[in-house]
Amino acid sequence: MTKPLLILATTASALAFSSVVSLAGEVTWWTPNFNEPRARELVEKFQAANPDITVNLEITTSDGLPQRVLTALQSGAAPDIIDVQHGWVNGYAQNGLVIPLDDVLQDREDYIPAALDYVTWDGKLWGIPYRIETHAVIYNRGHFTEVGLDPDSPPETWAELVDVATKLTKEGRSGFAITGGGEVGNTIFRSLPFIWMNGSSMISDDMTKATVNEPAAVEAVTFYTDFFRKGLSPASTLENDGTANRRLFIAETVSMYQSGQFDIASIREENPDIDIGVMRIPHPEGKDTAAILGGWSFVVPSDAQNPDEAKIFLQFLAEAESQGTLTDTFPARKSAMELPRFNDPILQVFKEMLPYGRPVPAEKNWVQISQAYFNGIQSILLGDMEPQEAMDVAAEEIQALLDE
Amino acid sequence: MYRPSTGLLFVLPALIVLAMLIAYPVAYTGLLSVTDGQGNFVGMSNFAKVLSARATPQAFWNTVYWVVGSIVFQVILGTATAVLLNQTFAGRAIVRSITLIPWVVPGIVAATTWAWMFHTEFGIINYMLTGPGIIDQPIGWLTNRDTVMPVLIAINVWKLFPFVAIMVLAGLQSIPNDLYEAARVDGANFWEEVRYVMLPQVRPVIVAVTLLLVIWGLNSITIIYAITRGGPANRTLITPIQIFRIAFENVQFNQAAALSVMFFAVAIAIVFVYIKALASQPREAR
Amino acid sequence: MNSGTQNAVAGFPALKEEGGLKAPGLGKPLIFVGSVLVVLVCLFPFWWMALSSIKTLRELYTIPPIWWPESPTLGNYYKVLFESNIPRYFLNSVVISVGSTGLALVLAIFASYGFARFDFKGKPLLQACVLIGQLLPTAAIIVPLFVTLRVLGLVNTYWGLILVYMIITLPLSVWMLTSYFKAIPVELEEAAIIDGASRLGVLFRVTLPLSIPGIVAVIVYAFVTTWNEFIFALCFATDSSVKTLPIGLAEFSTEFNTDWGAVMAASVIMTLPIALLFLSMQRLFVGGLTAGATKG
Repeated sequence: MTKPLLILATTASALAFSSVVSLAGEVTWWTPNFNEPRARELVEKFQAANPDITVNLEITTSDGLPQRVLTALQSGAAPDIIDVQHGWVNGYAQNGLVIPLDDVLQDREDYIPAALDYVTWDGKLWGIPYRIETHAVIYNRGHFTEVGLDPDSPPETWAELVDVATKLTKEGRSGFAITGGGEVGNTIFRSLPFIWMNGSSMISDDMTKATVNEPAAVEAVTFYTDFFRKGLSPASTLENDGTANRRLFIAETVSMYQSGQFDIASIREENPDIDIGVMRIPHPEGKDTAAILGGWSFVVPSDAQNPDEAKIFLQFLAEAESQGTLTDTFPARKSAMELPRFNDPILQVFKEMLPYGRPVPAEKNWVQISQAYFNGIQSILLGDMEPQEAMDVAAEEIQALLDE
Repeated sequence: MYRPSTGLLFVLPALIVLAMLIAYPVAYTGLLSVTDGQGNFVGMSNFAKVLSARATPQAFWNTVYWVVGSIVFQVILGTATAVLLNQTFAGRAIVRSITLIPWVVPGIVAATTWAWMFHTEFGIINYMLTGPGIIDQPIGWLTNRDTVMPVLIAINVWKLFPFVAIMVLAGLQSIPNDLYEAARVDGANFWEEVRYVMLPQVRPVIVAVTLLLVIWGLNSITIIYAITRGGPANRTLITPIQIFRIAFENVQFNQAAALSVMFFAVAIAIVFVYIKALASQPREAR
Repeated sequence: MNSGTQNAVAGFPALKEEGGLKAPGLGKPLIFVGSVLVVLVCLFPFWWMALSSIKTLRELYTIPPIWWPESPTLGNYYKVLFESNIPRYFLNSVVISVGSTGLALVLAIFASYGFARFDFKGKPLLQACVLIGQLLPTAAIIVPLFVTLRVLGLVNTYWGLILVYMIITLPLSVWMLTSYFKAIPVELEEAAIIDGASRLGVLFRVTLPLSIPGIVAVIVYAFVTTWNEFIFALCFATDSSVKTLPIGLAEFSTEFNTDWGAVMAASVIMTLPIALLFLSMQRLFVGGLTAGATKG
C-alpha cells in the first residue's frame, strides 16, 4: 500500500480489512483463462495432499489483465498469488507492490538462467518463472516449393532471408511479414532481437546510455523496416500485430513470419492445408541468432493476506511436474522439458531457440523506452523519417528517461 | 414565489450520493499528483516531468482535433436524423430502433469490427471499393497518416450520433402543436418549420447534449485504444489514453495523477464557462 | 414490428386532427432516401458482426472477404449459450443495469427538477460539481474507487457496481433531464400550484408525464452505458456471480487468440435484447408533451 493511500484510508482501514479478510489457511490465486483447466487440476492435486490449505482459484482474462492486476496491487486488496508476464514483474518490484521470493525457489540451477534474470532486481528474486517461450520463424513449406526453393533448407542469414523473401513475394503474396501495429510488445519482440544479433542494444548494459542510434542498431532497424519499405511485408504492416500476421499466414498471403509455438495449433485448425515449417530466426553472417524470452511468472503481492500459505502452495506450483502441467508453451525448468508433452517434432526449433532467449533490460522506465523506440519504427514505416533520423529522435527521448 | 432552499432539497440527495463516492478519488488523485511512489511530497516535479514529455503537447492537440471533429458531425448528423425520424412514415418505429444499434453495440466490439472492416487486406471496405474499380489500390485507412484520425472520428460519430438523434427526437416530441400551427398559419414550408420552430425549441437539448459529447469525447478511450492504441507514431494519441498508458503501462501513478489534475482543471474550466453562459439564457426559470 | 406500425398509424391522424392545417412534412422520396441511408449506415457493421457469428472459423478471415458463408453454422451460438458463462453474466448484467438505472433515475428526477425550476445560491457551481465524476479520467479514479468500495465492503457485490455505475450515469442523467424540464412551460405548473397542488404533486402529476420522452431517453442512456461498461466491471467484479457481459466477451480471448465467432455471437445476444426493448418503448416516445397537455 502506498503512503498517500495509507494517510487517507487509515480511519477506515479497520473496517476495510474486516470485510475482505480471508481466513488463515486460504490462498487466493489469480490465473488467466487459458490456464483454467490445467490450474484446476493442479489445485485439486494440491488440496488432496494439503487439506489444511484451501486454494481459491479466480480466473482472470488476458484482455485488461495489467489494469486489473495493478488496480488490485495498488489499492491493497490483492490476492495471494498472481500469474503475470515476466516483463511486468520488475515494475511491480520497483514500486514495492510484490514481495521477494528467494526463499521459495528451489533447484536454482534447474531453471533457465535468463528466466530468473528476468524477474531479478536489486539482487532479489521477485517472481517464480513457470513458463518460457521465444519466437522462431514460421513458414509455409508449400510456398517454398512453388517458387523452387528447398523447404528443408530455410534461410539462415539475413542476406538469405531477404533473398528468399524477395523470391516468395509475388502477386498478392508477401514473403516476410513484420509487425508495425498493435501493442508495443509485438514489435519489440520481433525487432529487438535483430539489434541484439547485430551486437547492439537499445540501451547500454549499465543502463546509462541510449544506444539505439548506434550504427549496428540502426543497421538492424533498417534491415527490419526494409521488409516493409521494399514491399516484402504486407501493405497493412502498420496495423498488424502478431495475431494479424498469423491470420494473413492462414489466409496464405504471407509466407514467413515470426511467432511462438502458440500459433501452430491455430494454423493447423483453421487451415489444415498449410504444410508448416519452422526455422530459427536468421542472423547476420557469422553471428548468433537471438530472441526475447517471453513467458509467465508467479508473484506474491505485498498486501497478500496469507503470504506464508501462499509460499507453500507456490513451492508446489514451482515443482517441475506442476510447471510442465501448467505451462501453455515451455516450462521454465530444464527437467520439466523432458515430459512427453514437449516432444512434438514441430516444437524442436522453438526448443533450440530457447538458449538464445534473453530478457529485456530491467530499466524502471522500460515501457516508455520501448514506446519511444516503437514510435520511431512507426515513423519509418509511415515514411516520415529515415531509420537514422528516427532512431536519433528515439535515442534522445530514451536518454532523457535514463537520466531521470 | 419559491423559497430558495426548496431547490437545494431537491438537489441534495443526488449530490450526497455523488460526493460519497467521488470525494475520495478526487482527494486521492490530488495527493498522488504531488507525491512520489513512496508518499513523499515532491512539489510540482510530477507536473514538470509530464509536461516535458514529447507526447504531451501532441496528445493535447490530438484531443482537440478528436473532440471537435467528433462533436461537429455528431450534432449535425444526429439532429438531421432526429428531424427525419420525427416525420411520420410507415416503418418509422423500425428505423428508430435500428438507429439505436450503433449506440447499443458494445464499444469494444464495434471498434474491433470496424478495425476489421477497415483493414487494408481483410477489410470489406477496401474490397467493396476495389471490386467495381472505384479505387485501384487498397487504401491503408488506419495506417495512412492523413486518414487514420478522420477514420477514427467517423467511427466515433457512427457510435454516438444515434444518441444525439434520440435525445433531440425526444425534444422534438415535446414541442407543443400550437407552435407548428402558428407557423403553418403563416404559410411556413418544411425547412422554415425546421429553422423557426424545431431548432429553437430543441436548442436547450442540443446545448446540453453538446456538453455531454464534450465530456464523453474528452474521456473516450475505447475506440482509439482498441483500434490504434494511439499510433501510428502517436498520431492518434489523445490525453486520456496517455494517462492510461502512464498509469497502467508505465506503472507511474503519480505522473498519471499529475496529468489527470491538469486535464481535470481544463475540463472543469470548459464546463464551468459553458454553464455560466447557459445561466444567462432567457429561458431560465426564476 | 406490430407496435411500430401501430404508432405510425396512430401518430399520424392525431397530428392532423389537432393541427387542422396539413403538416408540411418532408417529401416522401427524401424520407425514403434518408431512412435507407440511416439504416444502411447503422446496420452495416452490425450486419457484418451477425454474419461473422454464423461463419465457420475458416471463413472468418479470408482474402477477399466473403459475403455469405457457404455453410452457415449456429455452432457459435450453441457455444455461447450452453458452454460459456454468458447466460449467468446476462442475468448479472440485467440486475446491475436495472438497479443502477432505476436508482440514478430517481435521484436524477429530483435533482434535475431542483436545478430546472429553482434558483439558489451557488447553483452553477453545484451543477458543475455534479459533473466532476465524469471529468476525472477513468485511469485516475479506478484505484481510489476500488478503495472506496472496499471500505464500504462492496467489492464483488451487485451493489458495488450499481453504485459505481451511478457515478457514470447520474451526472449526465441530471444534465439531460434538467434541460427537458426547462423546456416545459412554467405556466402549466403555476396553474397547478394555484389549484393547491404541492411541489411534489406538481412534479409527479404535471411535469413528469410531460417529460416522458426525456425520461425514456435518459433510461436508454443509463441502461446502455452500464450494459456495455468494461473496465470498472473488470476491476471491481472478479467473481463469476457478479461478472457482467462485457467481461464475458473478454473471456473468449486468450493470450494470443480470440474466438471471434463466439465474440460476435455473444455480441449479437448482448445487443439484440436492448434494441428490442427500445422497439417496445416506442409507444412512450410518441405523444409526449402534446398528449399530456391536452389530457391535462
